[in-house]
Amino acid sequence: MADGPADIAPLLRVEGLSIGYRDAFGAMLPAVRELSFTLAEGASLGVVGESGSGKSTAARALLGHYRAAGKRTGGRILIRGQAIDELDPASLARLRGIDVAFVPQNPLSSLTYHLTVGVQLVEVLRTRAGLTASAARGRALELMTQTRLPDPAALFERYPHQLSGGQRQRVVIACALACQPRLLVLDEPTTALDKSTEVQVLGLIGELRRSLGVGLVLVTHDLNVVAQMCDAVLVMKDGACVEQGPTAATFAQPATDYTRELVGSVLRLDAAPPADRAQHTPPPLIGAQALGHHYHPGGWWRRRRAGAPAALQAVDLSLQPGEVLGVIGESGSGKSTLGGALAGLISPTEGRMRFQGMALAGGASARSREQRRRIQMVFQDPLSSLNPRQRVGTAIARPMQVFFGLNRRQAWDKAAALLDELGLEAHFLQRYPRQLSGGQQQRVAIARALAAEPELIVCDEITSALDATVQGQVIDRLLQVQARRSLALVVITHDLGVVWRMAHRVLVLRDGLVHEQGRTADVFSQPASDYTRLLLEAATSASRHRQDPALAPATNPVKDSAR
Amino acid sequence: MSDRLRLLSRRPLALVGIALVLAHLLMAITAPWWIAHDPTALVGPTLEPPGEDFVFGTDELGRDFLSRVVIGGRAAILVAFSAGLIAALGGGLVGLAAAYYRGWFDDSVSRLVELKLAIPSILFVSLFVTGFGQSIGVLITVIAVIKMMGAIRTSRAAGLQLMALGYVKAAQLRGERGPAIIGREMLPSVIDLLLVEFALRSSSALLLVSALSFLGLGLSPPTPDWGLMIHAGLSAIHSEPWLILIPAVCISTLVIGINFATEGIADALGLDAARGGAHG
Repeated sequence: MADGPADIAPLLRVEGLSIGYRDAFGAMLPAVRELSFTLAEGASLGVVGESGSGKSTAARALLGHYRAAGKRTGGRILIRGQAIDELDPASLARLRGIDVAFVPQNPLSSLTYHLTVGVQLVEVLRTRAGLTASAARGRALELMTQTRLPDPAALFERYPHQLSGGQRQRVVIACALACQPRLLVLDEPTTALDKSTEVQVLGLIGELRRSLGVGLVLVTHDLNVVAQMCDAVLVMKDGACVEQGPTAATFAQPATDYTRELVGSVLRLDAAPPADRAQHTPPPLIGAQALGHHYHPGGWWRRRRAGAPAALQAVDLSLQPGEVLGVIGESGSGKSTLGGALAGLISPTEGRMRFQGMALAGGASARSREQRRRIQMVFQDPLSSLNPRQRVGTAIARPMQVFFGLNRRQAWDKAAALLDELGLEAHFLQRYPRQLSGGQQQRVAIARALAAEPELIVCDEITSALDATVQGQVIDRLLQVQARRSLALVVITHDLGVVWRMAHRVLVLRDGLVHEQGRTADVFSQPASDYTRLLLEAATSASRHRQDPALAPATNPVKDSAR
Repeated sequence: MSDRLRLLSRRPLALVGIALVLAHLLMAITAPWWIAHDPTALVGPTLEPPGEDFVFGTDELGRDFLSRVVIGGRAAILVAFSAGLIAALGGGLVGLAAAYYRGWFDDSVSRLVELKLAIPSILFVSLFVTGFGQSIGVLITVIAVIKMMGAIRTSRAAGLQLMALGYVKAAQLRGERGPAIIGREMLPSVIDLLLVEFALRSSSALLLVSALSFLGLGLSPPTPDWGLMIHAGLSAIHSEPWLILIPAVCISTLVIGINFATEGIADALGLDAARGGAHG
């Protein structure tokens, strides 16, 4: 550890950093513009922004790394007073891992799949820290204990694919900490993880930071993560810094509209969720009894495998006309299977469904034409849910041609009206999906579902591929349409904020079973299980700053909303 | 589209390839109007070296070699491009159908493709030609079948990816029939891919048809054909090597031209041309 410059210079100082990418035609496109910030020893900074805001590019630059065709076009990065862009390759290599370490997003692709976890840790320790083989082994086990990996001696011999996602990310963190770096750069470290795993990994990072005094730069799109982890926050948009400051103050009183919009898109429990309407409504629109589904390897000569875990088990639900049901759960909880069964994408292996008093078959091809028309679906990825070779008008017109036998002229006229209902102008009919933004594409997908004049729309994670500020617009439009047409919706999501805003009732799925079910306000204010409480906690930490009476004069929102 | 043209124009090899293919096509199409001699007529002494009267000399029967070279690609190009077109379109449809229907249809198609790939092409053609004769129609059919196998695999793989996309699922949920979904939703999405398949399969079909003619299994005399000309020139390889070299250069430039052009076009379309390869 060098003295001298470290005493005066901060751990990290970035001055007017600009980075550009060369496109296929050779023109430089700016990815990061004039970015400046400093980070003291042991401090933590959250860098937030939507996809494409340049936050990952900036993070990698802190290690002197630029992606192919990327190049620093201006500014300096100083680590303890040392400008890293002036270093020769050998010194830069020494800097990486020893002074600055990096934790990437996807823990599976950042570990070598044919080497055991132990071998990879030992390799880092031998090449970077210069330890002998036996010393490295001891230190590796120590690191694994430090990162709370269960039974380090056994995990040492395992391959990455034999570990869970959370364990893999711990191994990557252990690798990053191997040489006791002073600065840890984390790029979306928990985005690929489930909510409950995310809570644990974030807890570990926070603990290590306190015990080792390491500085953090944490890049994320999730404001809740920043709220939990970071003293300061820097908001990026289009490669430039929009706003920076202490986390609590910035979230409580954003200085710019953009930050306000970002913060506003985080779950707040200060407005009431849609009121329950179950009491004063006719018999259910759709109902399911003991619904269950097993995925099994297909093929006509293969045996159905017994004993494979069920994706869905014994799910009972009913939905009134015009009612919105939120289905939440982590990946693998069976929520998409449930949506697929209701929509007709898969034929559930167990249980029965009824729609408007009639039996409802599993697969779409076994349903009546009217049933197919009345139940529509909107998919997660808006771009791939629209045919890239078809104009928007063709896509929206198709269901009307199929279900109502309209000719092209009539169908296109009605398509224009539908676009208008969703806040898009008629000239979008002539466009191709690729020419639209993600939010526009998703509104077109909703228009296509509405074209069939359905009674029920199954929405499978329809906002999760969209940026935070766009999510709100799409949800607003959908809610307006839902109210106007008295549509029933099944909203499948991992985002509790979406459920809070949209759903009358909520159903929590875990491991294919219904974990909890009830009115949205009830479930959110008095979760019956620890699991639901954990999900809620992970989703609300950013808004908690504003509940601090010193910063924002707010009443207890949960109590407020439960009336 | 103009962006794609710009990308294409930045690849010199692609431009060279396109120029070679266009030159060959132009030559093959316009040749009958400007060649000096009837390519099948005996117009001079045998094995005359290149000179003033006969620019490329004469062959072993005394026919004008320049006229024969210029016209000698027509039959092979016709066979190769027709077979390539049938292979790309037919293979595309079969592959997409396999991806759409899965089940026994997919299993049978996949096993048949593997079975076919295990039989050497030359052996396959010779069995066919012995049975059905050596007409151009038979050649096109049999080469199309051979070249179709790769196209089936490529489009089946692409089709499986499409099946996971929302727009195909939405069409299924509307209750649309298989052929409608394949034709309306899936085929347009793989048209880029099939264009590249067509080009790659055509170039390897050209090599195959020339090899077959050389072996006496393809086009038959007196049709002027590069493969046949190389076969005929074999006996004079030491004394009159140009009788082999000139048609060989013709075949190579056309095949190389197609491959360069394909690579550039695939690049501009954002596809990975290396995947198919020219050997399928």
